[in-house]
Amino acid sequence: MIKSIGAILLTVTLYQTIKALAQRYPKLRLNPLILTTISIIILLALFDVPVEQYQQDGRLLTNMIAPATIAFAIPVYKHFHTVKRYLGLLMIGTLIGSTVAILSTLGLALLFSLDDYLLISLLPRSITTPFALEMATEIGGVSALAIVFVIITGLLGVLISPAIFQVLKIDSPIARGMALGMAAHAVGTTRALEYGEEAVTFSTLAMVFAGVITTIFGLTFLPWLINLVL
Amino acid sequence: MMKKIGIILLQVGLIYLFLLLAIAIKNILSIPLPATIIGLILLFLALQLKLIKLAWIEQGGRFLMVQLLLFFIPSAVGIVNYDQLLSLDGLWVVLIILTSTAIVLAATGRVVERFGDQK
Repeated sequence: MIKSIGAILLTVTLYQTIKALAQRYPKLRLNPLILTTISIIILLALFDVPVEQYQQDGRLLTNMIAPATIAFAIPVYKHFHTVKRYLGLLMIGTLIGSTVAILSTLGLALLFSLDDYLLISLLPRSITTPFALEMATEIGGVSALAIVFVIITGLLGVLISPAIFQVLKIDSPIARGMALGMAAHAVGTTRALEYGEEAVTFSTLAMVFAGVITTIFGLTFLPWLINLVL
Repeated sequence: MMKKIGIILLQVGLIYLFLLLAIAIKNILSIPLPATIIGLILLFLALQLKLIKLAWIEQGGRFLMVQLLLFFIPSAVGIVNYDQLLSLDGLWVVLIILTSTAIVLAATGRVVERFGDQK
């Protein structure tokens, strides 16, 4: 009990401190999740605490992921008039995006002959972390790897998006927002703010749609496809 | 301050009830969807059918979403068991993510730009 409170207090304090620093100095582009994780890994090593022990003590935090996923219903409800009006466009964009994300990741991973556990953990990378975690568990991936791959996806997606939008003449706020939400989940949605309120709405909706669609893929044809190619 | 924390806790509790309800429904009807997605749909329907008010869960929901990254730290720390990523494989992984993300951005953006125009 005391160890559990200690683990959670330490994590929350470190995370909030780094988050405050990141907001104070946006130019440094500090990533609170990555930096807190690295700090904790170092602390655990210094004090000789097994990682599994820390994960066990901090499970109250992990248990919050599921209700947080459910809370994604709130933005869909708030923007329901947009969903109704653009349902077709949202479905086409995220169905194609999710399919392309999975197939291109799978194809490239096979091309580089990655180990099976890396390949499977890579498949959920384009969706927002709570959904990715759920999907990684379902298809037999490693949750820690899936989380890290999701973060890398978000950061790289935001980095390359301006060039892709320019070269391919993707100009409308709706298209840019949806591409960012589909390809780079929550990190992309933050970036969509630069293209206006409409882009943020579409980015958020694309993120939720992609999360649900990709997870459903993960439960249906994906295990069959994985069996086929591995 | 205390009042605000109380409200957030209660509202998170209410959202948690949707998770429990979703788990129960999943088990009884053996629906092959994850409980979180069933819960998301239930919460959306409850809001849409005015069974609950947005104000009952809005602050709790915002708290969960704003603090989302915090909840992944215990899982992310598990990365330490995979030092294979420090080898050449790690570089390939980054290259795969970069290429695939570029393809997804391009495909989604182009499709939406194309079909969005016809409205």
